[in-house]
Amino acid sequence: MSNPKHDKGEHYLTTPKAEPFLERLIFNNRAIILIAFFFLTLFLGYNAIKIQPDASFERMIPLEHPYIVNMLDHRDDLENLGNFVRIAVEVKEGDIFTQEYMETLKQITDEVFYLNGVDRSGLKSLWTSNVRWVEVTEQGFQGGTVIPDGYDGSRDSLEALRQNVLRSNEVGRLISDNFRSTIVYAPLYENNPETGEPLDYGSFSRQLEEKIRDKYGANNPNIEIHIVGFAKKVGDLIEGIGAIAYFAGITILLTTLLLYGYSRCISGTLVPVFSSIVAVFWQLGILKLLGYGLDPYSVLVPFLVFAIGISHGVQVVNAMAIEASKGFDPITAARLAFRALYIPGMLALISDAFGFLTLLFIQIDVIKDLAVAAGLGVAIVIITNLVLHPLIMSYIGITKGGVRHVQSHGEKQDRKWRVMSYFAHPGVAPVSLLIAVIGLGVGLYYKQGLKVGDLDQGAPELRADSRYNKDNAYIINNYSTSADVLVVMVKTPEEQCTQYNVLRAMDSLQWELQNTPGVQSSASLADVSKIVTKALNEGNWNWYEISRNQTIINASIREAPAGLINTNCDLTPVLVFLEDHKAETLQTVVDRVEEFAENNSNEEHTFLLAAGNAGVEAATNEVISSAKNMMLAFVYGVVSFLCLLTFRSIRAVICIVTPLGLTSILCEAIMATSGIGIKVATLPVIALGVGIGVDYGIYIYTKLEKFILEGKALQEAYYETLRSTGKAVIFTGVTLGLGVVTWIFSPIKFQADMGFLLFFMFLWNMVGAIWLLPALARFLLRPDHMLAKARSKE
Amino acid sequence: MALSAPSVFALADIIETPSRPTDLAPQSLLNDATIAGDRIVATGERGHIIYSDDEGQTWEQGQVPVSVTMTGIDFGTEQHGWAVGHSGVVLHSGDAGETWELQLTGIEAAKLAIETKQEQIAELEEQIEEAPEEEKADLEWALDDLFFTMGNLEADLDVGPVNPLLDVWFENENHGFVVGAYGMILRTTDGGETWRDWSARIDNPQSFHLNSITQVTGGAIVIVGEAGNIHVSVDGGDTWERRESPYSGSLFGVIGTGEANEMLAFGLRGNKMLSTDLGQSWEMIPNDAGATLNSGMVADDGRITLVGNGGAVLLSTDGGESFRPYFRDDRESVMAVVPVSGTNLLIVGEGGVKFTDARGKNLQ
Repeated sequence: MSNPKHDKGEHYLTTPKAEPFLERLIFNNRAIILIAFFFLTLFLGYNAIKIQPDASFERMIPLEHPYIVNMLDHRDDLENLGNFVRIAVEVKEGDIFTQEYMETLKQITDEVFYLNGVDRSGLKSLWTSNVRWVEVTEQGFQGGTVIPDGYDGSRDSLEALRQNVLRSNEVGRLISDNFRSTIVYAPLYENNPETGEPLDYGSFSRQLEEKIRDKYGANNPNIEIHIVGFAKKVGDLIEGIGAIAYFAGITILLTTLLLYGYSRCISGTLVPVFSSIVAVFWQLGILKLLGYGLDPYSVLVPFLVFAIGISHGVQVVNAMAIEASKGFDPITAARLAFRALYIPGMLALISDAFGFLTLLFIQIDVIKDLAVAAGLGVAIVIITNLVLHPLIMSYIGITKGGVRHVQSHGEKQDRKWRVMSYFAHPGVAPVSLLIAVIGLGVGLYYKQGLKVGDLDQGAPELRADSRYNKDNAYIINNYSTSADVLVVMVKTPEEQCTQYNVLRAMDSLQWELQNTPGVQSSASLADVSKIVTKALNEGNWNWYEISRNQTIINASIREAPAGLINTNCDLTPVLVFLEDHKAETLQTVVDRVEEFAENNSNEEHTFLLAAGNAGVEAATNEVISSAKNMMLAFVYGVVSFLCLLTFRSIRAVICIVTPLGLTSILCEAIMATSGIGIKVATLPVIALGVGIGVDYGIYIYTKLEKFILEGKALQEAYYETLRSTGKAVIFTGVTLGLGVVTWIFSPIKFQADMGFLLFFMFLWNMVGAIWLLPALARFLLRPDHMLAKARSKE
Repeated sequence: MALSAPSVFALADIIETPSRPTDLAPQSLLNDATIAGDRIVATGERGHIIYSDDEGQTWEQGQVPVSVTMTGIDFGTEQHGWAVGHSGVVLHSGDAGETWELQLTGIEAAKLAIETKQEQIAELEEQIEEAPEEEKADLEWALDDLFFTMGNLEADLDVGPVNPLLDVWFENENHGFVVGAYGMILRTTDGGETWRDWSARIDNPQSFHLNSITQVTGGAIVIVGEAGNIHVSVDGGDTWERRESPYSGSLFGVIGTGEANEMLAFGLRGNKMLSTDLGQSWEMIPNDAGATLNSGMVADDGRITLVGNGGAVLLSTDGGESFRPYFRDDRESVMAVVPVSGTNLLIVGEGGVKFTDARGKNLQ
């Protein structure tokens, strides 16, 4: 072996021969470096504050997936299909046919009309002139606005209104089936047609709350407002990002208290917190300079950066307190602490960073952003934690209380460590392994239920009991509508999108899909043509068919809804309404469409997947499930490789990585049982959990190896390991756990999922390192061999 | 089948595409229903023909070689039935509705109609030759009309079987009529083996749609159609006589009341009228509901039920003199009704099959 670090029996971590170059560079220029840090922090902090919440839809989807490529290619043609809000105005007592209700509805309609971003020409409510009733008469059609002429709120005009509503064909669409609510439908401009500015979802959503819900719902006990639509959902997500600020405050407070309890030293508490906050500002500032915003995923990275900063900062405080207790002055103590920690610290942080960077393999921008943000954050922590932190401490020093705490506390805890050292005992270790194997079995059993995708009803980004999802449930229950839409795009030569063969082919696809489990209904130009052909034939259902006569088809779709025909008439969508957005449902439907497209695409019509929220989810699911195993292989490969590089022993790698594997499997089992699917939000959890979780193993194994090489028996060596580093490892686990646990209360469902799972992984990886690693070591490590090998090199 | 389907079309034409077996058939649009012995048979969109032997509790789907929207069904005997629909298809079943074969399409029907027109034209041209000068102008007009109609038929045939048949009536396993759009009417006397175009025997020069055909007590056959068309045959269908209608809008249905020579015709916007003399005179029945009426039936106890758009179910207990209107909660259009046990009804329409009480209220 040619490992220079093991030469002459000196351990590379603990007994460096001389002051390393880095140490001289840093500690001989303390003032200059600190001043540089100061200005850099001012500059980056200034930028950090300017960073904006950004819930860009495109960043959350796999842009390179063929479905998404198709969707974006035809985005302009499909524009009108997706972006609208529906405001259901519900009356609590009685029905909608009252003067008060109609008056309120009129005011709301007017209010929505003037909202910035609403496409006024498409606005629909009982009060708009585009909502009409039509009747077939001997002379042709007869019709009018649903609000009767000369409406005055009298009983007669309300009765006329009721008649018009019944023949308007809007029951189930604009008017609920139970006549207790009606909808104000507002299509939105993606970009303001006058200024060209993109719609500000955050402010639009706030206006809806203030000008509609608060004004009319809160002030009127008999009226309740329900609002759904993509813009509202995004607005709520942006609100949710804002809530993160509170979590940050709580996390910092909790961590500070915990740190003080650990160190009993004011400076040993405040300096790590301060340098970690500096790290967060740097991270945010650099992200801003690189042009990133804070999306609902990457907003969580600062928490990780903070927690990682604290957990490694603890090592510095710990080392300095030990050196200070030996009587060294602050600057010497800081230099010694730096000397002892910069290699294992960097190793741990670099393995964290590599763990995060494996996320770059997933072709979804938010995940890549997350990888960049987290990798960047960890790189910054290396600087703030190993440079800034010791430098500040070298001026301030550990307080006397902190030093005393180190001296006295070590003794008191010895009994506890003694008990825990039995994890390495030959009698206890097999029991531990048996428990681990049982745990593995249980984990594997429950893991079978693990699903890909989002499993809950409604908007999966938000909580099931969120205002938005309650509104969504209300509208689904009271109107004929589904929230999960898959759009198949039918491409034809120019001006050919209404040809008989095209409509007929779409109709065949629709019937195929309606006979597919999970499909509720479907809609396309073919349906419009059939319905209108029927209407043109005096409303007689015998005529409900696509005519072979192109002139009749053309007449039947003359007034087809916008969005069903694009301007060139070379694209027309088939809308497929699904029962839910479970991965199997999506897969079944998408498979059927692909098979149909395969068999029936020709020069007259090609069938392209996919748009609509279900299309996006199907594509995302596909990317996620194919990326999952590759990412797992990479993250474990990287971690194992780094451990192998450091410890030069396969046995060591097994000791360190096995507990991580058990945790990953248990994590997946927990996901399966608590109904959390593998999705954009939870996929990174595994990489983050493994990348950070390996730190514990590295710290513990480093010490364990050192004590074994000093000639101690395994259990004794483990006892010494726990004495010197056990407290720091446990503290690290708790700090990391605390750093993410507040997310569980996030209004954004996937943030809560991430928080919950990371909390579990951080804590359980810590437990695994302390409990399972020594048991594995009992079976795998051969202290005699290790000693002999080390001696043979002398 | 010599069908001129465009070659680039990967999917087969719907008159060559067998109807897909599906559980959705009883919930999909059904346009007509009838009784064959103890069996109820109904037909509707996508070539669906379904039958039930337990008054509509459970349904089986017949094997049908086409996927067009079907519009009418009738059984000449318990075993032999015919169903008609779009693309001019006529289907025949010899096993009480379980399997169906294609007997005729709109292509052959159009060819037969064109032949008829050619014969009529030849006949008329002869007539003009022999006619006195003062009658010639009128006859020339009629000839122009015939040429115009034939031109339309030929143009349609270039596109394909464009026009639907709308109703069917069979007297027994051999003799029956099918009627449809633009005055289409064909007759068979050999159970559908061969068909003859019968449009020349009907006084319908403007080719109005013929919507419904039935036989009333006493043996007369009646056809009603667009623009108040009423045609009656008292010689088993050989010759037809046009009757004047007091209502000039579309009539969608006609039924006998159970009394000899009595019949009810009804249609657009709830207009309905009663005749006790085979259509020589009509009495308009007060119209309270205003919903277009599509079909009707007479129960054994003499109650008459009419059904129509917007969930309309009209009930008469005085032989059709007056009706009480009811509207179903779902407001979906009802296309046909058949009696089941007691006073209950089985209705079919926009939303498929529904089992209801005498007023159309759902029982399940």
